[in-house]
Amino acid sequence: MRNRQTIGMLLIAAGIGMCVWAIYPPGEKIKRGLDLQGGVHVVLEVQKATDEAHTLTDLTDRALEVIRNRVDALRVSEPIIQREGDNFIIVDLPGAKDPEKALEIIGKTALLEFRLVKDDTSGDTSGYEFLPTRERDERGILRDGPPLLVKKEPELTGAGLRDAYVGYDAAKPVVNLELNREGARIFDEVTGRNVGRRLAIVLDGVVKSAPVIRTRIPDGKAQISGHFTVEEAKELALVLRAGALPAEVKLAYKEVVGPTLGKSYVEAGLRASLIGGAIVFAMMAVYYLWFGLLADFAMAFNILILIAVFSVIKGVFTLPGIAGIALAAGMAVDANILIFERMREEKRAGKSVRGIVDAGYHRAWSAIIDSNITTVIAGFALFMFGEGPIKGFGLTLCIGNIANLITAVFVTKVIVDWVLSNWRVETIRI
Amino acid sequence: MDLIKKTNFNFLGNRMRGYLFSFIVIAAGVVVFLGRGPMNNFGVDFIGGDILHITLGTSTDVADIRATLAGSGAGEVTVQSLGTAGREFIIKSKPDTSALLRAALEKAYGAQGFEVVGSSTVAPAMSGTLRKKSIRAFIFGVIGILLYLSFRFEFRFAVTAVVALIHDILFTAAVLAFFGRQIDASVIAGFLTIVGYSVNDKVVIFDRIRENLKNSRSSDYLALFNQSINDVLGRTLLTGVAVMAVLLCLFLMGGEPLHSLSLCLLSGFIVGTYSSIFVATALLLDWHRVSPHRFKL
Repeated sequence: MRNRQTIGMLLIAAGIGMCVWAIYPPGEKIKRGLDLQGGVHVVLEVQKATDEAHTLTDLTDRALEVIRNRVDALRVSEPIIQREGDNFIIVDLPGAKDPEKALEIIGKTALLEFRLVKDDTSGDTSGYEFLPTRERDERGILRDGPPLLVKKEPELTGAGLRDAYVGYDAAKPVVNLELNREGARIFDEVTGRNVGRRLAIVLDGVVKSAPVIRTRIPDGKAQISGHFTVEEAKELALVLRAGALPAEVKLAYKEVVGPTLGKSYVEAGLRASLIGGAIVFAMMAVYYLWFGLLADFAMAFNILILIAVFSVIKGVFTLPGIAGIALAAGMAVDANILIFERMREEKRAGKSVRGIVDAGYHRAWSAIIDSNITTVIAGFALFMFGEGPIKGFGLTLCIGNIANLITAVFVTKVIVDWVLSNWRVETIRI
Repeated sequence: MDLIKKTNFNFLGNRMRGYLFSFIVIAAGVVVFLGRGPMNNFGVDFIGGDILHITLGTSTDVADIRATLAGSGAGEVTVQSLGTAGREFIIKSKPDTSALLRAALEKAYGAQGFEVVGSSTVAPAMSGTLRKKSIRAFIFGVIGILLYLSFRFEFRFAVTAVVALIHDILFTAAVLAFFGRQIDASVIAGFLTIVGYSVNDKVVIFDRIRENLKNSRSSDYLALFNQSINDVLGRTLLTGVAVMAVLLCLFLMGGEPLHSLSLCLLSGFIVGTYSSIFVATALLLDWHRVSPHRFKL
């Protein structure tokens, strides 16, 4: 019996340790929502052009590449760019300094250009300009390469490109290009005149690749070979396809929060949440004495678990989310109030110390489990079938209630049992 | 400290007054709601539209802003003032009109005279999806609650609990309409929180009814239900006070962004506690009166 209680106490300590480990250091582990630090949240809808044969999913992938390329250029610290469903793209730019500008850059149409490179930077450079090169290194980190001197006037744009895909030539990955009729005509002329020069592939003003023109290409079918890995070849093909995007990208949802808006409200919201939590804390201690402090401990543990799970699943904390946590504190004490009120009833019936405690927990159990399960059912439905904020809310409801069951019932019972078997307790004051 | 001793209030004896009260509030809410039109009732999340959140260099009032925007070509707009200085406003308009509003504001106050601190745009297609999914999630949640309560209690308990939950949402929506507040995504989250708390509160009373039914052979359900409500009154009040304490702090000190949400929760939690007695348990009793039933739990 003693052993079991000691194990229980150790488990509680281990649980607290794990939660703290999951949260620490809070600056890194806890992601703040837009309303807490300003920034841009955009949902884009990709729409198919009527005569387009490609699937919507493929088009969305291409659009995703275009947008990723632009967001990389914005150098926002932790951008989130992801596909949602078949044809929606979500872009989150927390902490974007100039949200309006960022939005403008994301929203414009992709511009893919083929421009001639001048490798000899001495001599007459009029009609040429330096463009940045940017590539991912082997660890996926973006690095600026040396800028290239390219002709200001593009030879060809993405409009002349029909498709691009990865192929193999002598067991090495290559990128195949297919041009449309107009594109093939121009390409024929340009490659014919410039054999031996480099032709830069420029997406939105950034040089993605600059292959050498080996021979004249008359039939609109070109091949880019080099020391590619399969991944690099895929990425280049995607860049090219993105430039030939035969789809329209429309803004479906936009939320911009300026950095000035956040601060004052965050302070007010946080302060109110803290004061509210403190009142509940004090109230429990005054009303139920030692047992109240026990409930306070359970409540704090409950909130700790909630925040820890949230940071592990990379949930985002928003202002309503913080208010929700304060509210969860108010509701978390309900299970303990049920138990303690029951214990008072048993005490009035004149039971022994052990009897009061056991009957209190035992009789309150059915109400606690039924109410928690119904709430989890509601939360689960919202998580499964809801969307956006409602989905997240459902998840919080589920986690909060399960954590509440653990902390308010099991954790407090372990502690009470431990106290009762290690100290001589004659009477219970509750 | 033990403030709530054994009590014996005849709650259910007053249930007709309760029905009348709920009916009047909800009916008045419907009237106000219909009178205001969708633009005032719903946030852009649900009907689509643009929002501009601006701060002005000089102070003015809602009427002045509205007059400024009247000739902008953007059509119907709603203007809400934040704080008391008359320098911060939220302007809501039809989809794709915020550029027109900006142009009009710039003309009236100069490019340096105002600052856009936040803005949102929701396309109607997107808002339609959100609306549909919210409703579907809610329906599935209600079905889940019905099934579980039927299994753990009895079908009648499940039905009256769900009726009470719907009552709570209608009642809260009515209160929001009285205060001129809009239903947006955060308020929907508020409704769901209310449902979670309210069903919790009903289960606690039902649990005590279940227990008292087991220990008694009496079929005087009025007395037995009243007894059960009184038995758990201490818990009802204490949990209520704990939750109210948090909500009052959020409502009074939480600042503008939490205002609609905390008002919604505040009224929802009060009505959720009220409806456990005067809707769920009261209907259970009257259902028995209309169609006699021996509860077997």
